[in-house]
Amino acid sequence: MNFLKHEIGSLAKPAWLVKTSQGRELDERDIDHAREWGEKVGVEGHEELVELLQRGNADPAEVANWSSRYCVRLQESAGLDVIWDGEQQRSEMYAWAIAHANGFEPRGIVRSFDNKYYSKSAATGPVSLREPYHNDEFSFLQSVAKARLKIPITGAYTLAIWSYDEHHTPKEGRLGAGYGRKQEIEARRELTLDIARNLIRPNLEALIGLGADWIQIDEPGASTEADELDLFVESFNVSVEGLDCFFSTHLCFSDYDLFFPAIEGMSGCRQYCVGFANYDSRELGTKAEDRPGYEVITKFRDLPYDPILGLGVLDIHTDYVEPPELVRDRILYAVEVFGDPARIHVCPDCGLRTRSWEVAYAKLQALAEGARLAEEALTREHASA
Amino acid sequence: MAELQAFAPGIYPRSEALVQATRDLDRGRTTQEAVDEQVERDFAELVSAQQSAGVDLLADGMMRWQDHFRPLLEAADGLETGALTRFLDTNTFYRAPSATRDEPKLSAPLDERYVAPLPGPRLVTLPSPFALTHGTKLSPKTVAEGVLKPAIEGLDAELIVLAEPFLAREGQRDLSDLAEALEALPGKLALWLEFGDAGKVLAETAQLPVEGIGVDFYATHLEDVPSGFDKLLLAGVVDARNSMPEEPRELAAFAERLRERGIERIALVPNGDLQYVSEPIAREKLSRLGKAKTATTEAAA
Repeated sequence: MNFLKHEIGSLAKPAWLVKTSQGRELDERDIDHAREWGEKVGVEGHEELVELLQRGNADPAEVANWSSRYCVRLQESAGLDVIWDGEQQRSEMYAWAIAHANGFEPRGIVRSFDNKYYSKSAATGPVSLREPYHNDEFSFLQSVAKARLKIPITGAYTLAIWSYDEHHTPKEGRLGAGYGRKQEIEARRELTLDIARNLIRPNLEALIGLGADWIQIDEPGASTEADELDLFVESFNVSVEGLDCFFSTHLCFSDYDLFFPAIEGMSGCRQYCVGFANYDSRELGTKAEDRPGYEVITKFRDLPYDPILGLGVLDIHTDYVEPPELVRDRILYAVEVFGDPARIHVCPDCGLRTRSWEVAYAKLQALAEGARLAEEALTREHASA
Repeated sequence: MAELQAFAPGIYPRSEALVQATRDLDRGRTTQEAVDEQVERDFAELVSAQQSAGVDLLADGMMRWQDHFRPLLEAADGLETGALTRFLDTNTFYRAPSATRDEPKLSAPLDERYVAPLPGPRLVTLPSPFALTHGTKLSPKTVAEGVLKPAIEGLDAELIVLAEPFLAREGQRDLSDLAEALEALPGKLALWLEFGDAGKVLAETAQLPVEGIGVDFYATHLEDVPSGFDKLLLAGVVDARNSMPEEPRELAAFAERLRERGIERIALVPNGDLQYVSEPIAREKLSRLGKAKTATTEAAA
């Protein structure tokens, strides 16, 4: 048996891409980085990039393509089975989608946590798709990747909840009026379903038309409002209903108990990628008490449509590199709970964008090795049974 | 005539320049000194914006605070940062307090990096004892005595605003533990019930031993302010989670309704930390807060 191992989405952009995009001068360390990582992860023709960077004034789009090649090879050489390019071509998971939509205006930068921020926009009118915004990167990655591709796309609910809403929220009259949750939810429902129907769905259709067979709908904002989970489910269903593709969703850093029973109605979702390692102990062990971060997985197991669980085994908020034995034990515990290894895929908690390539690579290698150890343990167990 | 003030407690957003500087620091592309210099520029801009707006108490914007708790968790023996946790229903996260011993102690007051000196009467924002123990097994009184009291002692502040984002959302509850904790704290205190409908707890909180109570009037109905409310009302009239700029005349009209309800002491404030909008929007909101105060005062004259 083999556990399918995949990434979740983002990886850090290298300085040579960031600086080129910003028109800044590169220094020797940037060139060395391109050379060293090209050799390390086996990027064919990376010397061409090194020369390009050394000459200066490189075309940012060309450098972004190189960065995609690097990230593809980084993940493949780390041992993953299903990959993406770490979103090297996108500005950011929210901003990229919004930049290709009508009906939004930018409202500046706000903090996500610590020194992490995101650009936030306001919905100011009816939403529509300006142009399919993942087609070019998908076509390019089809030409580059050796492993199977899985495309992450930000979901409707997250785009709605991460935006201000100047279109549906009353401009006056809320002060001291007890403007209640009912009105807020109604406003959000209008915006979310507008995005699902008129932005996400046509974008999915375009990707499927190009041959995409696994699309991950990222919904890190899904549990933001406990009383809007039905809306999250409704927006997912509206986005994917009737489309022929393997759809998964990614949820992270939430009280996952909140999703139940709402997601019982989300049967179009074949896999849930969920972050657990952030909440878990670093001690080894495969019993329930050893794995406090994974307590909630029984609820995913019991969903009526038997989805696969994308088991988050890497805490992406720390440079701590999980020992493979810890990854192994997290997987073995999940297998024990699910009773069916085929319903477990192995992945990081979330995208590794906030980690350096060195740390991300080491973590992904640990993930692959941990999965191998788990396979070995299960094979041994099976043989001795 | 009723007393009217305006000020802006809490965490103020960082400028784009400071955002870039902190990003660069995380990626090893700049130095701590360069970030410190940008913090100072942001701080000076904020002071200037507050002075232009005509606020009554200056705030330092908590430029170096990563969240409501971090410097206290890092400075106190017996407290540490826990899991990354969503802040209410926002897309902002914080490191939840985690207790490693029963009686945490702050060994030294917070230094000027975290409570910056200001050129005029000031307020200081700290977490409320209830918020600081939220998710731990500690009592509010324990952290009030061991952590918050030493942080407040020696501070030269007209008002200590205790940011409390959780209480209003928990609904009605016995507040005797919070009352005990507040009794232990020195200084003139205000409990700021951020971002939530305070209707269910407002009558109870009005009895707490504090000078003022802050209320989010974008979630709380005016009618929920108990009759005979005799504390300083920090009226949350600027929506820190909405990008639309407030109309000063609407805010002034609302302040007038508060007066008609018999509230004698009013401070116009945001309904939570302004860091939930970008810095240019926050600056505009701050300016309109000042204009609302002016409009209210002129209307009453």
